[in-house]
Amino acid sequence: MADIEKIPLHASSQSDIDEIENLFQISVQPAAPVDSSSRRPPSPPRATIPVTPVASAAKSKGAPPPPPPPPPPPPSYPAANLDASSSSETSPAMMTGFGGGPGYDTLTEPVWETLKRDINQVFENLKNVVFPNPYRKDAGKALKDWDLWGPFFFIIFLATVLSYSASADRAKVFATVFAVLSAGAVVLTVNVVLLGGSIIFFQSLSVLGYCLFPLAVGAAICMVRDNKLFRSVVVLVTVAWSSWAVYPFMSSAVPGSRKALAIYPVFLLYVSLGFLVLANN
Amino acid sequence: MSGYSTIGGDVSGSVPAAAGADHVALQFQDSNLQTFPPTDARGKLTGSSKPPRDADDTFSRPAEPEQFGWHGYFNLLSYRPYFNVDTSDVVQRVGDSLVPFKGDFVEKTATNPDMYGPFWICTTLIFVTAALGNFAAYLAHKTSSAGDTHWHYDINKVSWSAGLFYGYVGLLPLGLYFVLKYLGVATGLVQLWCLYGYSLFIFIPTSFLSVVPVEKFKWAVVAAAAGLSATFLALNLRTHIKTASERWFLIVCGCFVLQLGLGLLMKLYFFTVQFS
Repeated sequence: MADIEKIPLHASSQSDIDEIENLFQISVQPAAPVDSSSRRPPSPPRATIPVTPVASAAKSKGAPPPPPPPPPPPPSYPAANLDASSSSETSPAMMTGFGGGPGYDTLTEPVWETLKRDINQVFENLKNVVFPNPYRKDAGKALKDWDLWGPFFFIIFLATVLSYSASADRAKVFATVFAVLSAGAVVLTVNVVLLGGSIIFFQSLSVLGYCLFPLAVGAAICMVRDNKLFRSVVVLVTVAWSSWAVYPFMSSAVPGSRKALAIYPVFLLYVSLGFLVLANN
Repeated sequence: MSGYSTIGGDVSGSVPAAAGADHVALQFQDSNLQTFPPTDARGKLTGSSKPPRDADDTFSRPAEPEQFGWHGYFNLLSYRPYFNVDTSDVVQRVGDSLVPFKGDFVEKTATNPDMYGPFWICTTLIFVTAALGNFAAYLAHKTSSAGDTHWHYDINKVSWSAGLFYGYVGLLPLGLYFVLKYLGVATGLVQLWCLYGYSLFIFIPTSFLSVVPVEKFKWAVVAAAAGLSATFLALNLRTHIKTASERWFLIVCGCFVLQLGLGLLMKLYFFTVQFS
């Protein structure tokens, strides 16, 4: 397997593969003379397309092989262990499962560990998206470990703050803000897809949610004072910050002649939310 | 037997190589994204008879029914041809909608009617009218002497304006489409949506101007905008259906009046402040 050319993995696959690799190192019994230090096979759904047909060489079963473009799923269990690393690497994994190896088990870790890991991830993603950092140019790299906890938290926080500081129809304010933000994120992503852009759906939802952070901060600050001028300044600053944070991601997703078509709705969403923050009392 | 829609799906791995018997069951349908050679049970890389069909030549006609079957309506990518516009196209169409006297909007957009414009103009209008309606109420409250009532932001304006504008632009062209079909006029639903959507653009600057707390000024501005918008709609509809049916005048007048009604409703609900 050492001589196949591969199209390089997507950046987000690498972390998954690292995790799998770590589990193998821990849990694989060295019964079969497995050359696992060489290049690993990619996890099946991700698209590394081997240019030379690997599977037909390895299988040698004589079945007429149209080399299937996605990498073949690991062959059946009792495959000969002279096979390349594919079968013996995945069968122990299938037998022990994720986190089944000795010494590394997310099932039995304390709850605080789990929570802390997610909270840390939220902070990391926040730093990557909203604050200036060297990854901003490469949009896909900036949020390769996307998650939806952060966006969920910010949407709930914004809706709660706005409904708390409203003097009438509090439930309606909460419902409207929540619906507008969540449906708005979905609609904005669909808009980019329909315009011919290429983005990953949930990654885009995640970025749009994280870019609400400045507005959430602004809403919290505006809750303190009702002076319209003060609020205008705060809203202006936070809307500008949110737009600046989301711009590289959205603009790199669509072809250049349609950039404004993709950016404008995001801007519309943030401005209307900012106006709501400003006018709420 | 209908074929399979192949967006992201790959059936060929399960094709028995020696089948050959029943080709009908294995119709690969071309999609916008992936280009499989069709109807060959032997596998994808052998015997590709025709060159892969490009996505571009599906844009001159709607792709959903012919290409995907009935489930194309649920597939997001089958709506892509309706968003095939650049920024300059949208700007130009918006500019055309402000000058209502030419009447050729429908012909200009006949080959490439888009739904981007209508949808985002409606959405902008929703937020703009809700926000500026509240702002107008706030200004009126401050400049008048009504210090007793405490002004609060009316969140209902957002939901009512959403219902009004999405409902108007969504349902009225649908109704018009069915009426025209009944009368035997050839027309496209997406073109009607496109026309109605762009005709609403002028209400956006109108909302900005209606913030001024002078009642007569508000009425004048809204009347002018509604008149322009309805004229745009009526003239374009007239050129579109004039030759096709004798009842065109009735239909055009009906649409004109309904557009004026929309302007009136907008003014009364969003920009009129009652002091009780």
